[in-house]
Amino acid sequence: MADSILQTEGLSKKFGTRWAVKDLNLDVRAGEVFGFLGPNGAGKSTTIRMILTLLAPTAGIVRIFGKEVRGNRASILSRVCGIVEKPDFYLFLSAYKNLELLGSLSRKITRDEIQESLEIVGLKSRADDKVKTFSHGMKQRLGIAQAILTKPDLVILDEPTSGLDPQGMKEVRELVLKLSKEHGTTVFLSSHLLTEVEAVAKRMAVLNHGELIAQGDVAELLNSGSAYYSIQAAPQEKAIDVLSRVPWVEVVATGNGIDVRLDSGRAAELNRLLVTSGVDVSAFAAKRTLEDYFLKITEGASEV
Amino acid sequence: MSLFSIEVQKTFRRWRTYIGFAVILAAVVLLEVIIKLNETQMARSFAGGLNSDFLVSGNVLNAWVITAFIMNSLYIHVPFLIALVAGDMVSSEATSGTLRFMLIRPPSRSRIISAKFLAMLFYTALLILFFGVLCIGIGLLFFGGGDLIKFQPGLPHIVVLPAHIAASRTGLAFIAAILSMSVVGSLAFLFSTLVDNSIGPIIGSIAVVIVSFILGNLPFEFTESMRPYLFTTYMGIWQLLLDNPIDWAEVGKYALVLLGYDAAFFAVAYYVFVRKDIKS
Repeated sequence: MADSILQTEGLSKKFGTRWAVKDLNLDVRAGEVFGFLGPNGAGKSTTIRMILTLLAPTAGIVRIFGKEVRGNRASILSRVCGIVEKPDFYLFLSAYKNLELLGSLSRKITRDEIQESLEIVGLKSRADDKVKTFSHGMKQRLGIAQAILTKPDLVILDEPTSGLDPQGMKEVRELVLKLSKEHGTTVFLSSHLLTEVEAVAKRMAVLNHGELIAQGDVAELLNSGSAYYSIQAAPQEKAIDVLSRVPWVEVVATGNGIDVRLDSGRAAELNRLLVTSGVDVSAFAAKRTLEDYFLKITEGASEV
Repeated sequence: MSLFSIEVQKTFRRWRTYIGFAVILAAVVLLEVIIKLNETQMARSFAGGLNSDFLVSGNVLNAWVITAFIMNSLYIHVPFLIALVAGDMVSSEATSGTLRFMLIRPPSRSRIISAKFLAMLFYTALLILFFGVLCIGIGLLFFGGGDLIKFQPGLPHIVVLPAHIAASRTGLAFIAAILSMSVVGSLAFLFSTLVDNSIGPIIGSIAVVIVSFILGNLPFEFTESMRPYLFTTYMGIWQLLLDNPIDWAEVGKYALVLLGYDAAFFAVAYYVFVRKDIKS
């Protein structure tokens, strides 16, 4: 695909007798925020390590900017930056010095560029403080500062909100969106926090037990298959009676409302049926979240 | 900013790097002060062994004699200070996670490991030069100059270097000591690429030096046959430069062997590092 920034083909990694990643085919497009989902131990970090040349793949290839990484490592990595697992720095150096040293590994970095990066992540006032005095959240933000310092075309973030409080998570998400929208940077974001990916990603891939189980547009993936809805209706008994007679609806729970599962795309039809059956529907809301979707497909994959 | 410059900056911005300098400063000053306080007694004791066969006059206990004496710490004590930094060069970055940051940047692993190795050699050279300047400087201040009288195994049993060449010979000895200490550094550096903690390489390399040193000095046929293959056998290259005359063929042989060990240790470290999967 012409606008593919990152592609993996048959990417696999075996540790001993265990496949940590198996036959992984990813396609990340230019300018998008791409979510890379999976539970802990799914193989996300192993994949990222292979993409960034920290691990040698057992099989398969990684292509970035249309070129195979093996053989073009230096030219490709000069346009890529990232955080793998967690941002670790030289604790005995200041934030400024850390960025200067790490940035210099890619190209000559100016003082203004370092200050700008620190300003974007809100650490400009702490530039001269040693990193050992930083909180976890500040280190995460400094990690993002180093990732954007060289103005890369592709930023790879491995669990960037891990260990952050809700405010810190929100700030990181805003930074990710800012990178994509204002700087046109492609962001590859791995996470086990499904709401996080839902909040920032346009497309995503889902990994479980080292294997790809879904990839595509977040909205399209969410709308596929069955989905959960919450219905507020009166009288409730009558509504339950109507619902139980519809073959493509499953009543999942009742209480303050009625939770049902039905085929995606038939919500309007069900709403119409309830109303025409004399039930007053005051609320008909999708409970379909990325988390529901994720659980559904990973459970399905496990069963296979 | 060159990779070497980055590595040197990182090395010399850590307090651990200065432990070696502080220990040498304290040890040399303390030793020379103690010798100064007991100068008469020590001079008598030192010259006593010579008085039965020689007419001894002048400043026997001088800066060059004291320096040659203190240089014996190059066998065990100084190697520990070298290993403290060399054994930490790669492993500390693996432990702290900063190695990941380095290795996802454009510079190749071969360039990174080479820069780290050069930074280790730079530290080693600087520490030994500091050691030399301190020994000689304080020695001259406290004891002044004079002929360098040195006892040695074999014949001639006593070497006397006239005052006018003692300084240059001592300088040469320290330069040779850099080469001998670089082997300890290279060994610790190699160990540093094998594990993700700093203690192992430091203790491991010193253990190898001590065991090798002991094996090389045991008076048994088997251990004597091992002696040519132990790098500690050649670590005393600096002593050859205090002989009179200097056996340059022997110095050359020692230097080549030490360089060979340096190259071999670095080659293995390079091979391991370039192929290593970074899981930490």
